[in-house]
Amino acid sequence: MRKPNMLIGFALLVFVCFSFGASFSMAADTVKVGIVLPLTGPQAKFGEIEKISFDMALDEINAAGGIQGKTLELIIEDDTGRPEVGRSVVEKLITKDKVVMIGGGYSSSVTYAVAGVCQQNRMPFLVNTGSADKITASGWDYIFRLNPPVSEYASAIESLLGQVIKPKSIAILHENSLFGTKGANSFAKRCKKSGYKVALKQGYEHGGIDFKPVLIRVKQLNPDIIYMVSYIMDASLLMKQSKELKLTPKMFIGGAAGFTLPEFVQNAGVASEKVISATLWHQVLPYPGAMDYYDKFVARFKKPTEYHGAEAYAACYVIADVLDRAPSFTNIDIKKALSETDIMTIFGPVRFVSYGKMKNQNRLPTYVVQWIDGKLELVWPARLATKKLEYPVDWLKTWGY
Amino acid sequence: MNTKNIAFLVAGVVFLSFPLVIHSDYYQHLVIIALMWVVIGSSWNLLAGYTGLVSFGHAIFFGTGAYTAGILFTKVGISAWWGMMFGGIASMVIGLIVGWVCLRLRGPYFALATLAGGEIFRLIATNWESLTEGMVGILIIQTFKSKILYYYSALALAFLCVYIIHLLMKTKWGYYFLSIREDQDAAESLGINTTLYKNLSLLMSAFFTGMAGAFYMNYMAFIDPEVVFSLHHISIMAILVGIVGGVATILGPTVGAFVMVGVQEIFRSAFFGAGPKWVSQVHALVFGLLVIFVIMFLAKGIVGDWPKIRRAVFRIGESTR
Repeated sequence: MRKPNMLIGFALLVFVCFSFGASFSMAADTVKVGIVLPLTGPQAKFGEIEKISFDMALDEINAAGGIQGKTLELIIEDDTGRPEVGRSVVEKLITKDKVVMIGGGYSSSVTYAVAGVCQQNRMPFLVNTGSADKITASGWDYIFRLNPPVSEYASAIESLLGQVIKPKSIAILHENSLFGTKGANSFAKRCKKSGYKVALKQGYEHGGIDFKPVLIRVKQLNPDIIYMVSYIMDASLLMKQSKELKLTPKMFIGGAAGFTLPEFVQNAGVASEKVISATLWHQVLPYPGAMDYYDKFVARFKKPTEYHGAEAYAACYVIADVLDRAPSFTNIDIKKALSETDIMTIFGPVRFVSYGKMKNQNRLPTYVVQWIDGKLELVWPARLATKKLEYPVDWLKTWGY
Repeated sequence: MNTKNIAFLVAGVVFLSFPLVIHSDYYQHLVIIALMWVVIGSSWNLLAGYTGLVSFGHAIFFGTGAYTAGILFTKVGISAWWGMMFGGIASMVIGLIVGWVCLRLRGPYFALATLAGGEIFRLIATNWESLTEGMVGILIIQTFKSKILYYYSALALAFLCVYIIHLLMKTKWGYYFLSIREDQDAAESLGINTTLYKNLSLLMSAFFTGMAGAFYMNYMAFIDPEVVFSLHHISIMAILVGIVGGVATILGPTVGAFVMVGVQEIFRSAFFGAGPKWVSQVHALVFGLLVIFVIMFLAKGIVGDWPKIRRAVFRIGESTR
């Protein structure tokens, strides 16, 4: 008689588990927007910087009167960096929390899966970081993207290469992820077009800690440039191990992501010095409020911020602007308001346009930054630079050998 | 009609009527995922619990099933629903190869070989870009927007899997599996072709896990190697579902699947948004502690140690009276 009782109990438990909680609903004087970010797992660092930037912007927007007299409420959910969790998170936001639109989206894989759900449910989704091209190149009309696609991340690097460094050969290292693979492939394609020889294009496993075998191969090939598309720990380790191997190309270049975070200089130490990276934003850019946001962030959290934070902060303002203009909070009105967006943010001007295969994509220039004396300085394009690009670099001297 | 039949009837009615009563996509999604884990957990249990071959590589079969369905759809244009059948079959083929290599080994060596096997398959899927699209992953558009059909197909799959294993364990094959678990050499000396029956157990396990993988492709509509060949989220999770529910019990993996999926989501969403925010910040930790608790105090799992749980609850009831 033991098992049957248990079975009844279990069946009831399942029922109770899934039916309670359905009755919680918030007062009607808030406008709810769901934000999907990785708050735990390997990408948590990026998620955290974006979350606190969202919260900062939210406080300011609500202090200034909110949305059409209502309070803006952000429901920030953890996708743990996994596509299927991202999917259940966004389904919960849509069906249970009844949000009016979705924001966030950090890693490309999760963002892509979430975007699929949003398009299917006709739920407007403003992507602010997930950068794989196909997110806005799939013809989905409910998906809008604030940041440039990954294939355009390196455009400033390319002009710098062409005008200053003029390399002959390039080695490309990348993490085996949607972001890493796509970034490396499109950079390799452009290099070939510019006539630079791609001596090596090599992926490595996510979470790897020993890069010496691949770096030794790079050293034998002796390329002018090493281009790396990496997240945070791998970026630091690649530079540290290059230093240990005395690997000295003309320049080390990072393809954004891990190379611009404050943690990069903390982890890599002196090995981070003089490394340049593509970036989408820097606080000195002539956009209204950019420096202000940076100062406020530093004052409040006692650490510097970078482009991911700026994307989130700007995205929150875009969301507020869109909802303010929407005649009603139905998906069709919000989608229409999104497509009519034309505002200036700290991240640059935001307008969603369609070009080539891209649909509802914001077009922005990219920049090059360099770590000089432990600080991230804007070095390219030259007319906006805060410091002159340090090139050529005597790496052994920089590293203190 | 005895209590046992009534219990099954109640459970049957609850499961059959669930999507008709609860309309929220979110809760339906959770139950669908739990049902999928019932299939994976039960097939893992057939191999590990009943035949004594503890696999750390069930992601091999899950991933093969998912990729078979995905590739057939994107390259050949066959509906991913047909892919479910082909996914199971492809996993069996892979199971033969895995069995040929790994079944020569016993105990921890078999476990380690399957562990390595899972990683090998993940690397193949990552690097064979022309076939699998590598890390870009495969995305299809779901056939149905409503979850009801997914729910019932998952339910049918879970029921079939559990029921077939239940029937199987009463046949001669079942007893052969058990004898191999208890003492392979003794079984061999009694004239049981242990190699054959170990392979059969592996093939059945691979078939159902592959079907679950293909179902995942159908339902989630997005896969990449990190997701479906994940050591952490598939292979280890399959073991946890089995252990938490109860190894070598028919209903153990079913209970384990619902408990694992439920607990994970309850903590991640901080009691569906009703609890304090910090709960969701420590969800990974709480989840880990729970698993440790079960393994330490309920070593036979929830179903295996049910009398113990019942006694404990009963005693609390006594003392408060």
